[in-house]
Amino acid sequence: MQNTNAKRHGLSADESRQLCDKILGLARADHTRINITSGIQGFTRTAINRITTAGETNNVTVRITSIFGKRVASVDTNRLDDAALERAVRDAEALAKIAPENPEYLPELAEQKYMPVDGYYASTGDLTTESRARAASLGIKAADASKFVAAGFIDVAAGSQAVATSNRLFGYYSGTAVASTLTIRTPDGLSSGWAGDEDADWNTIESERIAEDALRKCRAWRGKTALDPGKYEVILEPTAAGMLMSRMLGVFDARPADEGRSFFSKRGGGNRLGEKLFDERVTIISNPAEKNAETSPFTNAGQPVQREVWVEKGVLKSLAYSRFWAMKQGVAPKAIPPNFVMSGGDASLDDMIKSVKRGVLITRLWYIRGLNPRVISFTGLTRDGTFLIENGKIARPVTNFRFNQSLSELLANVEVLGRPTRVAADESGAAGTPVMVPPLKVRNFTLASVSDAI
Amino acid sequence: MQTKLDRREFIKLAGAAGVAAARPFQQTTAPGPDAAEKDLVMLALDAARSAGASYADVRITRGNTELVATRERQITNVSKNETYGIGIRSLVGGSWGFAATRDLARNSVAAAARQAAAIARSNDRINPVKTTLASVQKFPDGRWMTPHEVDPFTIPIEQKAQLLFKTNEEALRVKGVRFVTSSISSIRESRLLGTTEGSLIQQTFFRIGPNVNVTAVSDDNGDFQTRNAVLAPRGAGWEYVLGLQMQENVLRWAEEAAAKLTATPVQPGLWDLVLHPSHLWLTIHESIGHPTELDRAMGYEANFAGTSFLSPPEKVLNKFRYGPAFMNIVGNRTESGGCSTCGWDDEGVPAQSWLIVDKGVFVNYQTTREMASWISNLTKVRESLGTAYGQDWASIPFPRMPNVSLQPNTQDVSEEDVIAATKHGIYIEGDGSYSIDQQRYNFQFGGQVFWEIKDGKRIRMLRDVAYQARTPNFWNSLALAGGKSTYRLGAALNDGKGQPQQLNAVSHGCPIALFRNVNVINTG
Repeated sequence: MQNTNAKRHGLSADESRQLCDKILGLARADHTRINITSGIQGFTRTAINRITTAGETNNVTVRITSIFGKRVASVDTNRLDDAALERAVRDAEALAKIAPENPEYLPELAEQKYMPVDGYYASTGDLTTESRARAASLGIKAADASKFVAAGFIDVAAGSQAVATSNRLFGYYSGTAVASTLTIRTPDGLSSGWAGDEDADWNTIESERIAEDALRKCRAWRGKTALDPGKYEVILEPTAAGMLMSRMLGVFDARPADEGRSFFSKRGGGNRLGEKLFDERVTIISNPAEKNAETSPFTNAGQPVQREVWVEKGVLKSLAYSRFWAMKQGVAPKAIPPNFVMSGGDASLDDMIKSVKRGVLITRLWYIRGLNPRVISFTGLTRDGTFLIENGKIARPVTNFRFNQSLSELLANVEVLGRPTRVAADESGAAGTPVMVPPLKVRNFTLASVSDAI
Repeated sequence: MQTKLDRREFIKLAGAAGVAAARPFQQTTAPGPDAAEKDLVMLALDAARSAGASYADVRITRGNTELVATRERQITNVSKNETYGIGIRSLVGGSWGFAATRDLARNSVAAAARQAAAIARSNDRINPVKTTLASVQKFPDGRWMTPHEVDPFTIPIEQKAQLLFKTNEEALRVKGVRFVTSSISSIRESRLLGTTEGSLIQQTFFRIGPNVNVTAVSDDNGDFQTRNAVLAPRGAGWEYVLGLQMQENVLRWAEEAAAKLTATPVQPGLWDLVLHPSHLWLTIHESIGHPTELDRAMGYEANFAGTSFLSPPEKVLNKFRYGPAFMNIVGNRTESGGCSTCGWDDEGVPAQSWLIVDKGVFVNYQTTREMASWISNLTKVRESLGTAYGQDWASIPFPRMPNVSLQPNTQDVSEEDVIAATKHGIYIEGDGSYSIDQQRYNFQFGGQVFWEIKDGKRIRMLRDVAYQARTPNFWNSLALAGGKSTYRLGAALNDGKGQPQQLNAVSHGCPIALFRNVNVINTG
């Protein structure tokens, strides 16, 4: 549950403020900004049906940004004794004095009003080594019982961040995140299944279901056979959809669009705000207060982060503007999306499968890399459960594929959207930027070549 | 000890098993441990032992980085970063536990050491296992430092910024070039390792990573093309940056960015490929470096980085043909200028070099102390090959890639010779988009600049090129490798692996090389 009074990991608001005040008291620059990140990372890792490593790291990092006129420099340190802090402040100031002027620098922000967000869940922050080990051992036991092989990862982060400026701005946020992912393989290495969850609240992580799903996928994918590459109707399970959609986060930036180096650039100059670019059922927002996907309501510079609508019914509604670019273009600044929340529909995954005459069901993706930013295209591979659907039913497991796919085309080719859920969208299994997406049925998805990998 | 061995010298040293004798460096000029840090290491080792650890290792690392970054005529970032702390890894029963803290007060260090042992004990209670560590010689006063001429931290920020501004200015002279970003990252790291087996090793690493990226935009904003200079990071000092002559060379990079706007789109199909070392290093990294990691082959990375097509070991070691008989791949933590070059690994195993592919046949993996015994009956190598590494004090050591390099042709084959041997091909310079599957079979790589070769001559620039291949087919299509004069190091500072993910700095050396009949696609 949220909002307990128990001791949280990371510095408290009072401790953060005191530390900021102490550092600001040492500062001699025209302006100074402080960012503090503090907390723990705990992890338990399994492979070949054993716990291979587990650990916990505790850290506090302070960034001191010093400004003289338009000369700016920063120093990060995790040494917090008085002498080290003084040295870091002097170092930042010495660097700033000799740094060339940054003509785009704008004065530090004064006090701001932030939306109230508490992303700290005690269930996650208080998670013990033993609890992690017990949860991880569920995957091992499920695999062992079937003489299969499990490899998994539970990643826990709990802590706080703070920002302060010499213009009396102060912001504080504390939050948690947890991801639990599991791969189960057959001992002959001929099949592999994956399942995972990511949330802010450990209580919503379903460890038993993850073990069951990974095992089920691994069983179902046995005996895979070849399927020709080509353009297919595909169903992207939520994790696969989220892994692709999270690549859109950085695309909603006005500056590259206005400068002619983005999909959102308009031929002849300007950007494509207001144009209908995607299927009308595509709506994408970001919201720091999104339940179980909370994020800080301020940027590192202290700029407020609000709920924003980026795409509404297929129309590009917003782009992010840095303070400098906003001033230059005469609009209000807008922070880049801190999380990705895509609306969906009512269809269940089963409904979606029933609606496919011939297509491919994709569990998750791997090694996604950009190809062509002009059309937001990416390459990557399917992984851990790929199936042919025929006449509304899973017909057979098939080999993995490399895909080459434009996301702008994908969002225009959406056929059915399911119910959105938060997914473990980071390939590394780290609890990262919150991504909430529906499963997607899309037409003309390019499966470019076969991959032998399992 | 830093000199690179040629093939004949290497074989002589390597002996039948293909492993060069581990010869620890004792650089007498390298700094020794700080007395206070040494005390903390001893305190942590004692605390871990008292808490029941049968083995423990302790690392105090202090990492310093400095970044100067620009775009066009302005600065975008001047920053320094220091991260300092202690990490303790303990073995209780057969289970590992790890704890790390930035707080170097004696009681905090002792508490972290006890916590590492407690985590190990708790895991061992819930999931008891066996772990065997290969033996290692004790080094009670090991010292090593990256060979360098000029400590990059002694070069003033203004001088670095001026170099970048002059580079940007030159690029902006080229018609069509609208954007240039450039940066220099300097890294210094002190790493003190202590083990319960009696080693105490102080190492100091220098690495430097320059970057230049030029973007040209068409007159109507309808198209844009980038050309990254692909300046390899290096285990070296400031002298490396000076040697790159960025100011002089940027004109070519900028002209190439602009030329890409009007280059001919590639026709998909089978092409011969002439791969420059600034491109081929990454193909080696992905299709040879990663699949020859033993932890991957055994399933330790199955949930993230993946497994390996080179598995199980008994079916592939000394049997699997990677490529032609002139193909030799060496794992080498002593390569001059290599980003993974060191004196010892994070388990106190001396840096060494060994054959991974010998005359085209796969003969060895990359191992750590925990993994050496898993394949010693097949390789006859009982000791670790020294690939344990944790990215910093906060990260548990685990197997990471050494410098893995393709050896050059013993004949003096020049770049011109390789181009002349190509009838219908594409010359690729620089790495671009890259992606490979989780067992390292199917890959797709782009590049920075592409030239069509016809009848042994480069004739025109192409664009939107990427090639797709299957690792064994690709390496068996290797037709000709350049000689020593074409050998270069490519590198990355950010190779990701592990959960939690850690970054590793690693280099790959290779000559220019010709591959026959590779499937090329158009990414436009």
